[in-house]
Amino acid sequence: MPRTPLRRLTRFEYKNAAHDLLNVDATAAADLPADEITNSFDNNAAVLTVSALHAEKYVLISEALAKLAVQDLQRLVACDVAATGEEACARAFATKLGRRAFRRPTTPADEQGLMTAYQAGRTDGSYAEGIEVMVRAALQSPDFLYRLETTSPVNAEATQVPLSAYELATRLSFLIWSSGPDDALLDAAARGELSSKAQVAAKAREMLAQPRARAAIAGFFEQWTGARRLDVTTKSAISFPDFSPTLRDAMAAELPAFVEHVLWAGDGSLKALLTEPVAFVNAQLASVYDVAAPASSGAALQLANLLPAQGRSGILTQAGFLSVQAHPDQTSPVLRGKFVRSMLLCQPPAPPPPDVDITVPDVALAKTARERLAGHLAAGASCNGCHSLMDPIGLAFENFDAMGRYRQDEGGVALDVSGEITSATDPGLAGSFVGVRAMAEKLAASSQVRACLATQWFRFAAGRSEAEADECSLGAMRDGFGSSNGNLLELIVATTQTDAFWFRSPITP
Amino acid sequence: MIQRARSNHPLRFSRRNLLRGSLGMTALLPLLDAQRAEGQNAAPTRLVVFTTPNGTRNSLFWPTGTETNFQLNKITAPLEAHKSKLTFLKGIRLNDALQNGALGGTVGSEHARGTGGMLTGRPLNSGSEFKSFGNTTSGWGSGQSIDQYLAEKLNPDTPFKSLQLGVHVRDTEVRARIAYRASNQPIPPREDPKDVFNVVFGAATGATPGAPNPELERLWAQRKSVFDLTRGETNRVLGLVGREDRVKLEAHLAAMREVEGRLVGTPGSSASGGGSRCLPPTLTAVNLSVDDEYATAGQLQMDLAAAALACDQTRILTFQWSYSESEHLFQFLGKSGNHHVISHDFSASGANFEAYNAIQTWYAEQLAYFLGKLDSYKEGGGSLLDNTLVLWATEIGESTQHDLTLMPYVLAGGASGKVAPGRLLDFSQDRRDNNQLLVSIAHALGVADLNTFGDPSGAPGPLPGLVS
Repeated sequence: MPRTPLRRLTRFEYKNAAHDLLNVDATAAADLPADEITNSFDNNAAVLTVSALHAEKYVLISEALAKLAVQDLQRLVACDVAATGEEACARAFATKLGRRAFRRPTTPADEQGLMTAYQAGRTDGSYAEGIEVMVRAALQSPDFLYRLETTSPVNAEATQVPLSAYELATRLSFLIWSSGPDDALLDAAARGELSSKAQVAAKAREMLAQPRARAAIAGFFEQWTGARRLDVTTKSAISFPDFSPTLRDAMAAELPAFVEHVLWAGDGSLKALLTEPVAFVNAQLASVYDVAAPASSGAALQLANLLPAQGRSGILTQAGFLSVQAHPDQTSPVLRGKFVRSMLLCQPPAPPPPDVDITVPDVALAKTARERLAGHLAAGASCNGCHSLMDPIGLAFENFDAMGRYRQDEGGVALDVSGEITSATDPGLAGSFVGVRAMAEKLAASSQVRACLATQWFRFAAGRSEAEADECSLGAMRDGFGSSNGNLLELIVATTQTDAFWFRSPITP
Repeated sequence: MIQRARSNHPLRFSRRNLLRGSLGMTALLPLLDAQRAEGQNAAPTRLVVFTTPNGTRNSLFWPTGTETNFQLNKITAPLEAHKSKLTFLKGIRLNDALQNGALGGTVGSEHARGTGGMLTGRPLNSGSEFKSFGNTTSGWGSGQSIDQYLAEKLNPDTPFKSLQLGVHVRDTEVRARIAYRASNQPIPPREDPKDVFNVVFGAATGATPGAPNPELERLWAQRKSVFDLTRGETNRVLGLVGREDRVKLEAHLAAMREVEGRLVGTPGSSASGGGSRCLPPTLTAVNLSVDDEYATAGQLQMDLAAAALACDQTRILTFQWSYSESEHLFQFLGKSGNHHVISHDFSASGANFEAYNAIQTWYAEQLAYFLGKLDSYKEGGGSLLDNTLVLWATEIGESTQHDLTLMPYVLAGGASGKVAPGRLLDFSQDRRDNNQLLVSIAHALGVADLNTFGDPSGAPGPLPGLVS
């Protein structure tokens, strides 16, 4: 099987895992550098390494979190020092903490290591300080920072190595919670309750029903759409004076709210994700969508039905998505078309070849994006060979400006939002359409789009790109997704049924 | 309703605590060693790579005249005060190693290729791990960058072997990383001046001069115990994983080694020196998510960079403005539109033509400020700038063409006498490879025996006539 790389926790995973381990506010994890993005996802193992900056922050963040953790020592350690004694309490805690932090039962060496850390704090310090240093040590351990899959195979010659129950539990928890397993999941692993595919599917469904699955699964969609970049998205104050930090925060909050609505309150279908004409708004965001502000003025976003006349369509017309897939000062049909082509059709266009003449024709008088992009067409095959894959798709989005507001004209010219998907492998996608919604209906019905989403989910789940030898696993995911009528939760469950999920590659000497 | 899981990008530094824990900044990192900065017999030679995005416009960039008697052009006019300390390098091509190299790479756009290649002299990786059919986010840099090579080779006795600073870099894709420890090991820059201040100068403020700090000494001892423990565990894991994963864990161990010295201190040395002339700059508040505060954030980072060099906290520093292909806004210069789109405007009469020139000139002003800052620190008979080699680079040449055949490189400073500045070296009739510039940089920094760097397709040897 393809090599299954060693995976370092992402910043998001570190934050969740530390929070779940210690039950503290893990905001300090934000001091880690943002993870490098490869093919739209920030968890591609090939490039996630530990730089000196990471090493420094691992120390400092562990100190900040450990300090918080020992503020309520009794809750953390749950041991009666007066009755049991400091050393015995610390030892019991080492076993408990180590199991959760390292996601497997501790070995005597693990316990001894954690006790060494305890002594480093206890010597010249207090019992609490000893526990504090032990927590720091757990957070800096490679057993915490990496998802180790190093259990010796029973069959040393195996070309694919079955995971241990704990390693499988760890894959499940990071897949569904973006965090380490809780005690219940480790207990289930210990009891052999993750031995069959049916058991794992049932456990996956159970875990997906828990509230903490929601932010984690939304994380996939944030990265898939690019909306996670809202944090670093700026807009021209001249063209978009309303694009304030608070509006940006509301846009960022809308995507997980909508994903929750579709996956957990709705039918969970890809069709709903791509087409359902609803939004989640506060007063500021309501004005972007031209709908009434919610009656309550609380922080939580409220469900709103969008205006049919605007042709809004699920995640594809969310203000956050439309803002990210645009320039700071104007729309970018190229970026939006590239998103559909790369992330929904899995046909990413190549970059301009080195010898291409990229001098763009003078378009100073162009009023609309369609007129501006006509240059690609006019330039002939060198530009249009690839841009014809993107521009006609992206132009269908032109009713929505660079921060997602509806518009019917640009520069006084009525917008033409007709579009076309060419060169798709699914013949059902051929032909022209008008506007995003009509395109989204086509996409939602396409087997190519379902297959592509399975591929994107595979990359996110496996932390690597797919290889030819993954075809069987990918096929199983597509089948599971397809037979559930495009149910996104079932796609996640189907992931847990594949060889790629159950096995790791053998170790290369 | 669920709360959005915030990614808490470092831009949002208003939420961060300047002081973490009771020890506050004194706990953070190194005590400034006044001896180090003031007691040096000979000032060390430093390297700074200063990058600005989106290429240049040749017709307004290159000086006119002869090697030693030349006039600055429009875009570089702000550097006039430092002209005698500049070396223009005309005629260096970055395309060969990147496009015809060992990996045969035309992976990624020119912006991405130029970014990943300018300091590595190598193409981007391709291959199964980044199967993405050649789009711009495909492979990462395929080898070590010259700054990291020198940090490793020279292994200076400084708290930071190298420092990576950025201003509004924000992006985390290939186009946002110039420094590589090794293939697929990009090094992210520090973008928050507060973070830089804390880690570089943290101990310089707050501590009582002259008094030892027992709490800090204890923290150091605890850190040392945890380092020892973690190192042991990492070495154990190293024996359990395959070849490719060992590379990652070895990088982790090296990263630990790099930070350990300054995090664990030296027992008995917790008393702050006090009275050092090596003072940190004043930190002012800046909102990193506001494009209009680019200059403020940049100036803070430049002040910190200069002080870190002057105080010998590091001798190798990269300083990165935005990311390549940057869409940064310059409304504070009265320009609408974003930098990348502006950089593609070809019309000599259009508004974007002027906007592009204004932005490029502004970047030259920033470099001039930085050079002035370096020159203001006196060292021996000269200045910090005289003992530094600054490379001003960008990921492409002529911006409208995504050109990689004529890179607009400028050096500043004298590298402690190794480089005689005030010259225009013109290789444009006999183009030289970017790899040769990287070899020359190594020579200037004292690694005299290096003959090739980066992709083997690059020509060997240094640039002729640059380093004595």
